[in-house]
Amino acid sequence: MAIRLQRLPSASPAVALAARAIAILLALVTAGLLLAASGAQPLKLAQQVLKSTFGSGFGLEDVGLLVTPLILTGLSVAVALRIGAWNIGAEGQFYAGAFAATGVALFIPGPSIVMLPLMFIAGALGGLIWILVPTLARAYADVSELITTLLLNFVATLLVYYVATGPWLDPGGHALATTARLKHDMPEFIGIVHWGFPMAILLAVITAATFSFTRWGYEVRIAGSNPQAAKYAGMPFRRHLIVVMLLSGAIAGIAGMLEVAGTVHRLQGGISNNFGYLGIMVAVLARGSCIGVIAGAALMAVILNSGIILQTQGVNTSTVLAITGLILFFTAVGDELAHFRIVSSKPAEA
Amino acid sequence: MAMPDVTERPRPAPGTPPLVQLRGIAKYFPGVVANQDVDLEVRPGEIHALLGENGAGKSTLMNILTGIYQPDAGEIIIDGYLKSFASPVEAIAAGIGMVHQHFKLVRAFTVAENIHLGWSETPRRISAQELEARTAQLSASLNLAVRPDARVDELSTGEQQRVEILRVLARNARVLILDEPTAVLTPSEARELFKALKEFVARGNAVIFISHKLDEVLEISDRITVLRGGRKVATEPTSACNEKMLAKLMVGHEIVLDDLRARGPNAIAKSNEPVVSLREVTARDSTGHTVLNKVSLEIAGGEILGIAGVAGNGQKELSELLTGMRAASSGQIMLGGRDVSAASAGDFVDFGVGHIPEDRLRSGLAPALSVTDNAVIREYDRAPVSLGPWYRPRAAAALARRIAEAAAVMVPNYSMPIRNLSGGNQQRFVARREMRIATKLLVAAYPSRGLDVGAINTMMRYFVELRDAGVGIVVISEELEELLNLSDRIAVMFHGEIMGIVDSAGADIEQIGLMMGGQRAATPVRAAAMVH
Amino acid sequence: MSDLRHLSRRRLLNLGAAAGSSLLLPPGLIRSAHAAAPLPAVAEKDALIAFGHTGPVTDEGWTWSHDQGMKAVKAAFPQVKTVFVESIPYSADATRTYRQFVSENACMVFATSNYGDFLYDVAKRSPKVAFYECDGRNPLDNLSTYYVAHWYPTYVTGVAAGLMSKSGKLGYVASFPVPSVFSGTNAFLMGARSVNPNATMQVITINSWFDPQAATQAGTALLDNGCDLLFGIMDEAGYLQVAEKRGAKAVMWNTDIRRYGPKAYISSIVIDFKQYYVGEVKKRLEGTWTPSSTILPMGAGVDRDAWGESVPEDVRKQADAVREKILGGWSPFVGEIKDAKGNVKLASGKRMSEAELYNWDWPIAGISGL
Repeated sequence: MAIRLQRLPSASPAVALAARAIAILLALVTAGLLLAASGAQPLKLAQQVLKSTFGSGFGLEDVGLLVTPLILTGLSVAVALRIGAWNIGAEGQFYAGAFAATGVALFIPGPSIVMLPLMFIAGALGGLIWILVPTLARAYADVSELITTLLLNFVATLLVYYVATGPWLDPGGHALATTARLKHDMPEFIGIVHWGFPMAILLAVITAATFSFTRWGYEVRIAGSNPQAAKYAGMPFRRHLIVVMLLSGAIAGIAGMLEVAGTVHRLQGGISNNFGYLGIMVAVLARGSCIGVIAGAALMAVILNSGIILQTQGVNTSTVLAITGLILFFTAVGDELAHFRIVSSKPAEA
Repeated sequence: MAMPDVTERPRPAPGTPPLVQLRGIAKYFPGVVANQDVDLEVRPGEIHALLGENGAGKSTLMNILTGIYQPDAGEIIIDGYLKSFASPVEAIAAGIGMVHQHFKLVRAFTVAENIHLGWSETPRRISAQELEARTAQLSASLNLAVRPDARVDELSTGEQQRVEILRVLARNARVLILDEPTAVLTPSEARELFKALKEFVARGNAVIFISHKLDEVLEISDRITVLRGGRKVATEPTSACNEKMLAKLMVGHEIVLDDLRARGPNAIAKSNEPVVSLREVTARDSTGHTVLNKVSLEIAGGEILGIAGVAGNGQKELSELLTGMRAASSGQIMLGGRDVSAASAGDFVDFGVGHIPEDRLRSGLAPALSVTDNAVIREYDRAPVSLGPWYRPRAAAALARRIAEAAAVMVPNYSMPIRNLSGGNQQRFVARREMRIATKLLVAAYPSRGLDVGAINTMMRYFVELRDAGVGIVVISEELEELLNLSDRIAVMFHGEIMGIVDSAGADIEQIGLMMGGQRAATPVRAAAMVH
Repeated sequence: MSDLRHLSRRRLLNLGAAAGSSLLLPPGLIRSAHAAAPLPAVAEKDALIAFGHTGPVTDEGWTWSHDQGMKAVKAAFPQVKTVFVESIPYSADATRTYRQFVSENACMVFATSNYGDFLYDVAKRSPKVAFYECDGRNPLDNLSTYYVAHWYPTYVTGVAAGLMSKSGKLGYVASFPVPSVFSGTNAFLMGARSVNPNATMQVITINSWFDPQAATQAGTALLDNGCDLLFGIMDEAGYLQVAEKRGAKAVMWNTDIRRYGPKAYISSIVIDFKQYYVGEVKKRLEGTWTPSSTILPMGAGVDRDAWGESVPEDVRKQADAVREKILGGWSPFVGEIKDAKGNVKLASGKRMSEAELYNWDWPIAGISGL
C-alpha cells in the first residue's frame, strides 16, 4: 500500500485555515530551533513576545496602530485584484495621500472638526490622482499597471522627501527633515489607537459588502475574473477597471492620511514604513478577500510587532527579518498544501 | 479471454505481450468516481478506439497511462513489465506519447525548434539548418510531411497536429494516444491522418484513438473499448460493431436520432417577419482584414438556420455580430424591425438574444468564479437577482439551482468554481442559461463540439423545444449531418461570405460540400427548395 | 590598525579632554538651568538601559561609536542590563520600539539620532524614564538632548582641505538638509576659504545616514563634476573608497577608517560618547538625574583624527595651529557671513553662539546643492 498526495482544484476553508495554523506553528518551531542554535532561549523569547503583545494594553495598542494602515493598503491591493489589476503602487498612493492631507492641514485654516474630514477627502483624492495615469494607461493603451504603479512609488517618495526637507520644512526648527506638527489630530479611540482603526475596519466591511451585495460588485467580479465574459455579458469592462483602480488608489491615499493625522502628525520621508508593499503581502495572505484583509493585516501586524519585541530582546535585525520571511514562506507553502489530500493506493485484487 | 480477431493486419507472434495492459485501474476525485475496475489491453499493430460519453472517464484513464495522474488502485503493465509513472516524462521514456486536443506547441518557434524542444537527443549546440535537416529526415522516415522551417503560428490546424504527432513519434513512442484528433481537421486532413496512423501501426506500434464520432471510429479502429460512468462496459472487435450498438453501449440505452425538423402539434409556426435580418453586413478584424463580406441573412421566428462551413471562414465573427459583441463596419442589422447596428451586447440581451459561444470557457463563463456567479450572468440586472442597485446572493443561488435542474447537471456545491464541472455539464448549463433569455433569437456556435452522443441529443432537443416556442435559432456547426437533421435551412460560409442557402429537406450533401470549398450555389439561393 | 595610530589618537583626545575640563568651552549651553526634581535612584542590578540606533552597530561609524559608549557603561556598572535595537527607521516603527523599551521597564532610553516626535510622544507618556535624544531639539522634564560641537574640528579639517585641494572644488555627501549638515558644510568651507578664498562646495543629498551604495554613487558624481576632495556625514566609508580609487582626498566622520583609503584619508571628525554615557548613567543610578542639554566640546567627545599619511607636514602644522587657537577660546564663526543667496546673515564682528551653530539652517555663500 502506497501513500500519495493528491491535488484538489480548490481547498475547503476549514482545511485552508488549519494548513495556515500548522504552517505558522512550523515556522515558529523552525525559527525557535535556529534561535536556540545561535544561543538564544526561544521559549523565553516566545513568552516575552506573547506577554508584550497580548498581555498588556501597550502591546495591543501597538498592534492596533500598526494594523490600521495595513488593513487599508491591503484593501487597496485586494480591491484592484477584483478587476484583475495588480496595484503595486499602494506605497506611492499612500505618500500622495499623506502629502495631500498635510498640504490641506498646513495651508488651510479651520477647526479640526472641519479640517479632519477635509484632510480625509484630500488624502483619498491624493491617492486617486496618483493612480490616475496608470489607470488610464491600462484602460486605453493596455500598459501594464504593474510597472507604472511601481515606478510612481519612487516619484512619490522623493516628492515627500523634497517637501518635508524643503518648502514645507518645520519653520520652528524643532524637528529635522519633517514638516511642522499638524494642528489636527485624529481623536484617540482606545489608548494611543486613533479612530482610524475602526474606520479602516468599517471601510473593509463596506467594500466587501459592496462587492458581494451590489449589481456593480457582481459586474466587477465577472469583469475581473474574465474580461471576455464581461464583453459577452455586455458589461463595460473599461469603465469598471477605471472606477475600481481609482478606488484602490483612494483607499491607499486614505491610509496615508490616517498615518499622518493619527500616528505621525508630521509629513516626512519614510513615513510609509513600507506599508504599501506590505499591503501586497496582506492581500495575498487574505487571498484577495476584502474581509480577509482584516485578518491578514492583523497577522502581519502581530508578526511585525513581534519583530520589534524580539529586537528589544537582543535578537538582531537580520534574524528578525529571516523569521518574518520564514513565517510568510511557510504560510504560502501551507496554502498550496491545503489543496492536497493524502490518499493510499492499493493494488487491484489479482 | 479469447476474442475473435478479424483484422487483416499482420498479427504478432503468439506469446508477444500486449504493448499496454491496464488492470483494475481506479481513480477517485472528491465526490466522483472517475475510473473503477478498468481493464484495457492494447496490442502491437492495432488502432484501439476508446469511446465514451463526456465524463465517462476516458481522459482520466489516459492521464493515468501518461503519468499525469497516479491511479488510486490497479496496475500498469508495459511490454509485460509492471510500471508506475511518476510523471509524463517517465511515460514518454517508456514509449507512451499523447497528442492532446489542445496542442502544446510554442507558436513563435519553427517546426524544427518545436520538434527538438525539451528532447534529450537534441545536441547542445546546433544550427538552425541542422535542426531543420534533422526534422526533414524524421519527417521522411516517419512519413509525416511537415515544413521544418515554418513558424508554428503560420500553420493550419492540421499541420500543427502533424507536428505534434511527429514530436511524440520522434521520441520513439510505440503507443500513440490521440484525443479527439479530427475535431479540428477538415475531412481531407482527417483522411491524411488516418493514412499516417495506419502506417504507424503497421510497423508494430499501437494507437489509442479517443473519439465521440462513431463513424470515424468504425472506419479507422481495429478494436473498440467503451467506457461508461468510469467503468469499462465492453471491448469488441470493430468488425462486430455498428453505430447503433455503440451508441447504446455508450449511453446505456438506445438513442433514436429522429428527424428533428418535424414540428410538434403545439408548436408555434414559423413567423412571416424575420426576427433578425442582416443587410450587406461587412466586418473587419482589428488588423483591418475583412472577416465578413457583404453578408445578407434573414432568420424567422420558429426557424432553425444552420451555418455550415470549415471552421475559420467567418462563422465565429457572424455569431459575434448577431449577439452584439462585434460591430459591423458597414451594412445594417435589424432586430425585430429595429436597427441595432450600433447596439451593445447588453442591448442584445435585453432584446432577447441568447448566445452559446464557441469557446464557453473563454467567453461564456468566468471559469474561476462560482457556479452561481456564472448562472446569473444574463439575469443579474433584473429581479429577482437584483433589486435596484442591490444584488441578492440568495436569489442568485436559487436561479443557479433552477438552471442546473433544467440542464440536469449535478452540482455538489454552488460556490465551487464552475471549471470543476465537466465540459459537457458546462455546455448544458450554458445552453439552459441562454435559453431562458432567448425569447427572440438563440445563436449557438458549435454547440455539440466536445460532447458525446447523449449530450448532443439533449442539446438538439433543447433547440427544438425553443424553436417550437417560436424563437429563431442560428446553429453553427461543422457536423453536416447534425445540421441536416436539425435545421430548416443551411447557409454555407466560405472566406467570410455566404456561398448559398439551401433548404435542409432533400438537400444535396455534395452541393453543400462544394460550397464549403468555395463554389457559389449554382442556382439562386431559394431555388434549392425547388430541387426537392 | 596600527597601535601607534590608536595611541596617538587616544592621546590627542585625552589632551582635548584636559582642555575641555579646564572650561575653555563650557558644555551644556542650549537650555537654561532646569529646576525639575531629580528622578529617584535605581539599584544597579535593577537597571535596564536601552539604546535605539539609526544604523547597524557594525557600521564602523556613528552607531559603532555609540555602541562603544554602551560597552563602556557595562564595564563601569557590570550589573546593569543593557539592550539595543539597531537600524530603527524614521517612522512610527520608532515609536513602537521606544514604547517597547518602556514596557520592558528600561530606566534610561538613549536615542542616538534625532527621532523627533517618535521619541517625544513616548517620553511624554513615560515620566519615570530618563530619555535622551542625540541631536534633539524638543526637551522635556525627562528628555535630555546631547550632541557634539563637530563644527570646530570640521573647521580645522576644512583648513587642511583648503590647503590640499588643487581645484578648490569640494564635494559633500549629505544625508538630509538638517542643521548638522549645514553646520558641517559651512564650517568645512569656511575653514577651506580661510586659506583659499575661492574654494566652493557642491552637495548631494541621499536621504539616508547609512546607505553605502547611494553614498558611493554620490561620491562618484561629485568627483565627476570636478571636485577633488570629498567630505560628508555618512556613517560608513563609501565615499572614502571612491576617493581612494579615483586619486582624490576625503575627510570622514565618526571613527578612524583610514584603512579603507589610506592614501585618500586626510582626517575624520571622530566622536567619543563613553565618558558622557558613563557619567549620565551614574547620575541616574545615584538619584541625581535631572534633564540637561549638552554639547560635547572639541577635545571632550569630538575632535579631528590623527592626520592621514598623505597630509604634508606644513598642512598639519597650519591646521593644528588653528585647532590650538580654537581650544584657546577663539571662534572662526564670526561675521560677516553671507548665505548662498548673498544675503548677509551675520553682521560683521558678531560671533555665533553655540546654540546658533547647533541650529544652523542655511548654507553659506559658495555652497551649491543644499
